[in-house]
Amino acid sequence: MILQLRVKSSSGHDLKPIAAVESVSCCASSRPFPLSHSLRAIVNMENQGYPNFQARPPPSSSSPFASAPPPGVRPQSGGPETVGFRPPTRPFTPSAPPVAPPVGAMRPFQSPLVSQIPGQGIRPPPPPPSSNSFPSTTYGPPGGGSFQRFPTPPPPSGPPPPQTLAGHLSPPMSLRPQQPMGPPPQSMTSGVPGGYASPPPAPGFQQSMPPVNPSYPGVGGPPQPSFPGYPSNQVLQGPPSSYPPQTGGFAQHPGQQNMHPSYAPPTSTVQALAEDFNSLSLTNIPGSLEPGLDRASFPRPLDGDVEPNSFAEMYPMNCHSRYLRLTTSAIPSSQSLASRWHLPLGAVVCPLAEAPEGEEVPLIDFGSSGIIRCRRCRTYVNPYVTFTDSGRKWRCNICSMLNDVPGEYFSHLDATGRRMDMDQRPELTKGSVEIIAPTEYMVRPPMPPIYFFLIDVSFSAAKSGMLQVAAQTIKSCLDNLPGYPRTQIGFITYDSTLHFYNMKSSLSQPQMMVVSDLDDIFVPLPDDLLVNLSESRNVVEAFLDSLPLMFQNNVNVESAFGPALKAAYMVMNQLGGKLLIFQNSLPSLGAGRLKLRGEDPRVYGTDKEYTLRVAEDNFYKQMAADCTKFQIGINVYAFSDKYTDIASLGTLSKYTGGQVYYYPGFQSSIHGDKLRHELARDLTRETAWESVMRIRCGKGIRFSSYHGNFMLRSTDLLALPAVDCDKAYAMQLTLEETLLTTPTVYFQVALLYTASCGERRIRVHTAVAPVVTDLGEMYRQADTGSIVSVYTRLAIEKTLSGKLDDARNVIQQKIVKALREYRNLHSVQHRLGSRLIYPESLKFLPLYGLAICKSTPLQGGPADASLDERCAAGFTMMSLPVKKLLKLLYPNVFRVDEWLLKPSADLDDLKDVLKRLPLAAENLDSRGLYIYDDGFRLVLWFGRMLSPDIAKNLLGADFAAELSRVTLQEQENGMSKKLMRLIKKVRENDQSYHPMCFLVRQGEQPREGFLFLRYLIEDQMGGSTSYVDWILQIHRHVQQNA
Amino acid sequence: MGWDLFLWILSFFVSLALVASVFYQVICLTDLEADYLNPFETSSRINRLILPEFILQASLCILFLITWHWVFFLVALPVTCYHAMLYKERRHLIDVTEVFRGISFEKKLRFTKLGFYIFLFIMVVFRLTLSAVYSFTEDDDLLHLF
Repeated sequence: MILQLRVKSSSGHDLKPIAAVESVSCCASSRPFPLSHSLRAIVNMENQGYPNFQARPPPSSSSPFASAPPPGVRPQSGGPETVGFRPPTRPFTPSAPPVAPPVGAMRPFQSPLVSQIPGQGIRPPPPPPSSNSFPSTTYGPPGGGSFQRFPTPPPPSGPPPPQTLAGHLSPPMSLRPQQPMGPPPQSMTSGVPGGYASPPPAPGFQQSMPPVNPSYPGVGGPPQPSFPGYPSNQVLQGPPSSYPPQTGGFAQHPGQQNMHPSYAPPTSTVQALAEDFNSLSLTNIPGSLEPGLDRASFPRPLDGDVEPNSFAEMYPMNCHSRYLRLTTSAIPSSQSLASRWHLPLGAVVCPLAEAPEGEEVPLIDFGSSGIIRCRRCRTYVNPYVTFTDSGRKWRCNICSMLNDVPGEYFSHLDATGRRMDMDQRPELTKGSVEIIAPTEYMVRPPMPPIYFFLIDVSFSAAKSGMLQVAAQTIKSCLDNLPGYPRTQIGFITYDSTLHFYNMKSSLSQPQMMVVSDLDDIFVPLPDDLLVNLSESRNVVEAFLDSLPLMFQNNVNVESAFGPALKAAYMVMNQLGGKLLIFQNSLPSLGAGRLKLRGEDPRVYGTDKEYTLRVAEDNFYKQMAADCTKFQIGINVYAFSDKYTDIASLGTLSKYTGGQVYYYPGFQSSIHGDKLRHELARDLTRETAWESVMRIRCGKGIRFSSYHGNFMLRSTDLLALPAVDCDKAYAMQLTLEETLLTTPTVYFQVALLYTASCGERRIRVHTAVAPVVTDLGEMYRQADTGSIVSVYTRLAIEKTLSGKLDDARNVIQQKIVKALREYRNLHSVQHRLGSRLIYPESLKFLPLYGLAICKSTPLQGGPADASLDERCAAGFTMMSLPVKKLLKLLYPNVFRVDEWLLKPSADLDDLKDVLKRLPLAAENLDSRGLYIYDDGFRLVLWFGRMLSPDIAKNLLGADFAAELSRVTLQEQENGMSKKLMRLIKKVRENDQSYHPMCFLVRQGEQPREGFLFLRYLIEDQMGGSTSYVDWILQIHRHVQQNA
Repeated sequence: MGWDLFLWILSFFVSLALVASVFYQVICLTDLEADYLNPFETSSRINRLILPEFILQASLCILFLITWHWVFFLVALPVTCYHAMLYKERRHLIDVTEVFRGISFEKKLRFTKLGFYIFLFIMVVFRLTLSAVYSFTEDDDLLHLF
């Protein structure tokens, strides 16, 4: 918890906001006293809110906190302040944060003394305004009531501080026995006799603290006025304003939660509030199963993904969280702190995320001045750079280098040091900008958008109707391909031979050339295989029209995939582009032929299991690498109902920044729409070509590992031949220096790419995050969505080198470790009993962890999902942006029958309909109709006792038939239309995939289990655990060695 | 006597080649880390050398065996076994797509091998000198030396 303390002393001068904590810890030991004076003064004023309180001028003007006692160092008892009161220094428990100057803890006792010193100008505080929320008014600390942020504190009746000195020593001793660890230790000063005068700590100091060991013998004493049970959720938790960006100083004070847990809460209201403080505690009693468990109270992300916004207002110039999401918005200041943060430390970046209307990324042309970048670290100019020397120089925010401002870019500064032209310069006000790159950023002329199609035309392709659908869709998209008139297009088809097509614009019909030598591939024509679409439009259309007919009666079942890929590579490698592969069967001829290896059940459960999930033949990796090198991005569309070794095929996509679309058992009547939509999306969405991405960050930290579909070109450069808005990349960072000395850390994502229009551009996203010294703060600022995203990728990567079981265990252990650390953080100070505690920010983490373990790539054993499905889902999830991933992990289920029956035909009340339900069968009413939506599939679940009218209205005449044969079509009645509108709306919400609609009736086995019940992740299915058991398991593990 | 000298001269060149090859691989990896080389180039350069290295090393090992140089054979044997294992598991080549993930391991492995080869090289040089001295000097001369 960090708070900016900006206090006006009566003399009118402004005290500097308290300096960053790091600095405290660094220079602390040298001069403990002066600092504590000023600190006290400030804090007193702040806490008690006495406007007329005279602040003692800070001895060290620069940083009032500069000499806080070092962590764990007890202040010498020489000074008057400390006589008799030994501040409760941190217990030396392992859980205590390393840096925790007990200043805050001292403050309370000392302040009365300070105020007694004559001549200090400190007046006894008048009774605070009635603002004390503590119901018990028996205690007197005026400070207790002065808590500024307290909702409604009643007027305290205690005497003013000066009189209370006497009480200082004794109260704690006498109190403790009286109320030994009352139920939730929240309590504030309830037990403190009025004699205790010290003000409660400023809210800003609230957070953090190293839990005080109540049994610490020497310390026991001072009644601490801080509130362990203070409902930080409501009041204290991470108000963004607590990080003053301009000063970079966080008033956060780790020393402050040194409070005594031992004071019982006076009333139950306090208790209730207190429960919230440790960020939500879940009562569940492992020993006695059901009684203590209330399933309904378990946290569930029914509101979808909640983006962390605590810093959005704080740092308004940060890029939007849709582009960059850190796993925690508070960066640890030291390696030791980072090692205690067991969650991943990193970010999820979606550089081209779709911006809503009106929030498009501004495009900037620096013109003749060239792009303004730091000379040393190559950072792009961004809102956080500072201009000095009357505008002639600018200081890089990442490496602090002083750079010259080019003459063309010069602007005068106004009185506050702002550039005069700030408003005309989006790069200085916006976190996300797009810069037009001059020729220095090109190694060759910007490439045109290129779409190359590699289509399997063997027997099954024609039979399933795939050819027909694909050809139609491509044809319908020709107008919308980005980059007109430079767009180029080309085709190769293959079965046991390769067919090239000459599409020269002067021809009226394409010429087909067949190459049957698969061992020594050659390209029959040097040009004209890849043609400019606008010139050869007629030929292309003629080809697409005739394609399905040409191979209608093809009985060839072989697939020379490898040679075809090589041929495509040879055609494309001059320019690069996007290669779309339509594969219908297992590659069976030539290089890269694959074996039917997925059938062997003996391999499962052994150490060799993972080999099934990685590319079998090195050919695929080598091809992928070569393609990346020549800027070819590969998207794989696979259609077979049999094993096609997606693991190998998908490798091509994985390392070229593409994606895998998998339509098992493709039938054009069923999957046609899905393919049509997704292929159209793939072809028409805005794509960034031949791009590379790098993320830079401040000194002392480094991004060490990257996860997603791409290839690393150097240690920190992601090569992305074709990237679009549906791709996200995760990365983890490590601290390279033992201690970070800066108050903030900056991140800058730069994506250099060629836009479809032929412009070379750089998209730059800049964000800043504060550095904290306190573990609790890191937890508080954690972002579950981003953490889950990283975990998912780690788990999927783990399945490529180990057993599924291991991957699931890894996830569980990671969550357990994190929660255990959090528990340790609080267990000393609070009586946790058998509660599972977790920070508010991570309340969904256990559930998402369960969801990861039950997701398609990781779930169950070999029987639960086919190998191909697993691999396809794995490749997809590796590239999903956070929101879509979370939706896939914890899908929406909502009830629609009541809404359908309601007369209002509008979709206005869509919000009411889309009320998400927990994913457990017990929430499904057999009289209802439910829609399940995970972004990839829609399942309409008809309850057994659903009124036949509804079914009839929706399904028409065959409503009683087996639903596997029924497809949902719009019927001529209002209800059906309404439902179709709803489905359309749901699909429009997320355009990146086209959820196919499945119908299933309750009790229809095994379809129901396969399509629907298995995805109710809170239930126990087969060998998997239910949500309750999962929580209990985690809790048990957390308590071990806790 | 002449055969013995020939054996050591051969071993000398083979182990020198091994040292050079591994040294070159280490340099490639270091360059990759420093961003002087791209992964494509690095892996093709290194992978080109790996099989020759394995073969050379294995033949040296066998040569020691058939010439009945027990000590040398036993020194060379572990590396040969390790190479055979890598080859059998198809892990001997650098994976161009995941170079960076395994780079620290690969570097360590090569440093260890480099040390090992240098050790072997020194041993061979020692025996080479010895046998050269034996073969070029008459017994009398040899006695004379002492």
